[in-house]
Amino acid sequence: MRQPLLQVERILKQFGARTVLDVESIALEGGCSYALTGDNGAGKTTFLRVIAGLEPAQEARGVYQGRPIDFRSCPDGFRREVIYVHQHPYLFHRSVRDNIAYGLEVRGISRKERMLLVNDALNWARLGHLLDSPAQRLSAGEKQRVALARARVLRPRLFLLDEPTANLDAEARMQTLELVRDLCDADGTAVIACHDPEVLALPGIRRLHLADGRITLYDGSADATDALRARSGHRSSERGKGVLLDQILWRPVAND
Amino acid sequence: MDWLSTTEQSFVLLFSGDAELWSIIAVSLKVSLVAMLLATPPAVALGYTLATSSFRGRSLVIWLNQGLLAAPTVVIGLLLYLLLSRHGIFGSLHLLFTRDAMVLGQIAIATPVLVAFTLSAVQGSDPRVRETAISLGATPARTAWTMLSEVRFGVMAAVFTAFGRVVSEIGCSLMIGGNIAGLTRNIPTAIALQTSRGEFAEGIALGFVLLSVALAVNLMLTFFQGHGGLR
Repeated sequence: MRQPLLQVERILKQFGARTVLDVESIALEGGCSYALTGDNGAGKTTFLRVIAGLEPAQEARGVYQGRPIDFRSCPDGFRREVIYVHQHPYLFHRSVRDNIAYGLEVRGISRKERMLLVNDALNWARLGHLLDSPAQRLSAGEKQRVALARARVLRPRLFLLDEPTANLDAEARMQTLELVRDLCDADGTAVIACHDPEVLALPGIRRLHLADGRITLYDGSADATDALRARSGHRSSERGKGVLLDQILWRPVAND
Repeated sequence: MDWLSTTEQSFVLLFSGDAELWSIIAVSLKVSLVAMLLATPPAVALGYTLATSSFRGRSLVIWLNQGLLAAPTVVIGLLLYLLLSRHGIFGSLHLLFTRDAMVLGQIAIATPVLVAFTLSAVQGSDPRVRETAISLGATPARTAWTMLSEVRFGVMAAVFTAFGRVVSEIGCSLMIGGNIAGLTRNIPTAIALQTSRGEFAEGIALGFVLLSVALAVNLMLTFFQGHGGLR
C-alpha cells in the first residue's frame, strides 16, 4: 500500500447530543478517487467541510503527507492543497475569467501566467466562449463546470467535491461527469460525495460509505464491476452507463 | 414675507457666486467628506469583524452601536464639547470651535451608521462567499476584501446614508463648531442662523443646496443599487 496522502485519524462532530460524525482512521491514497456515499443527512457534506476547515468539529485530527494536522486550524500549506467545491458552487460577481483567476491571483501568480492558465482551464471545461460573461448569469451546469475549472487550475492535491452532478439536467450532468472523470484520471486525489451511480462506476474509484456517523472503505474493483457488467450484457467501454448503485460489487477494506 | 421674491433672491444669491454663501457650502462639504473618508475604513472593518467573528463582548459592542444609531446629534455634540473644552480631557488640544472638532463630531455620528449597515450587509451575504474564498486559498484579509466586494452595494448604502446624516446634522456642529463665520459655519448652522435673523433668502438658497446634495446622494445610491440588483 502506498503512503497515504491524507490519513484521517479522528473526526468527531456533534450537534448537541447527536453525533453526526465519529470517524476514525480513514486513509486516502494519493492519485486515488473516492466516492463518498450515504443516505441524505448522513453527514457526507459535513465530513468534506470538516476536512476543508470550513466546519467546526469537536475533534478533527489527521496526518497530511506525514505531518500531523488539525483540520480546524487548517494551516496555509494544507489549505492551499485542498479545494472544496460546493454542491451549488458560488461564483463571484465578476466575469468567468476573473472567477477562475481568483485562486491564482491570491497565490501571487503573474498576470501573464494567469491568463494562460485560465484559458487552459476554460478550454478544459469547454467554456472558452464564456470567458468574459458575468458568472452570475450562467446556468447551473455551467456554474458547476466553472467551479471545477476554478478548482483544477490551482492543481490541488485533494479535491473535495460535494455532489457535483446533483440537480443538473441530463446534458449538464453528462458534461460535468466528464470533467469529474477527467479529474479522477489525473494525479490528484478526489473525494466525491454522491448518489450518482455514474460517479460510482468511474474507473478505479473506491467507495467510502457513511452510515451512523462512521465511514467504511470499500474497494469496488474494476474486475468485480466488469464481471457484473459482463453478466448483465454491458461492454467495458460503457462503464458506468445504466449501472445502479447496489449492482456494483463493493468489498469492505480494513482501515489500518 | 413674499415667498416668490424671497426664493428669487435666494437663487440670485446662489448663482451670482456670493462668496459668503459658497464658503459656507465649501465648509459643509469639506468637513463632511473628510469625516467620511476618515470614518469609513475603520467602521467598515469593525462592521465586518462583528459580522464574521465571535469574541467576548461582541454582543455588547453591537448593542452599544445600535444605541448610538439613535443618539441625538446634539447629545454627541455635548459629550464632545465636555471632552474638548478647556477643562476637558482633550482640552489641551485646543480643538473646540474648529473644523477638526466638527470632523470628529461627524465621525462619531457616521460611525454607528457605517458599522450597522456593514454588519447587516455582511451578515446577509451568502455564506458560500466566505467559504469559497477560503477554499481557494485567500488570506483572512483577502477574504474580507472579497466579501465586502460581493456586498459592495450594501456598503455603498452605508456610506451614502452616513454622508446624508452628517451633511445635514446641526446639533453637533453647532455645539463644537460654534457657527463661526468663514471658519465653522456650515449649511445647517447657517440656515438656522439666517432664519432666526429673518434673512430667508440665504436660508432658502442653502436649503436648496442641502436638498440637492441629499437628492444627488440618493440618486447615486439608487443608480448603483439598480445596476447591482440586475441579474
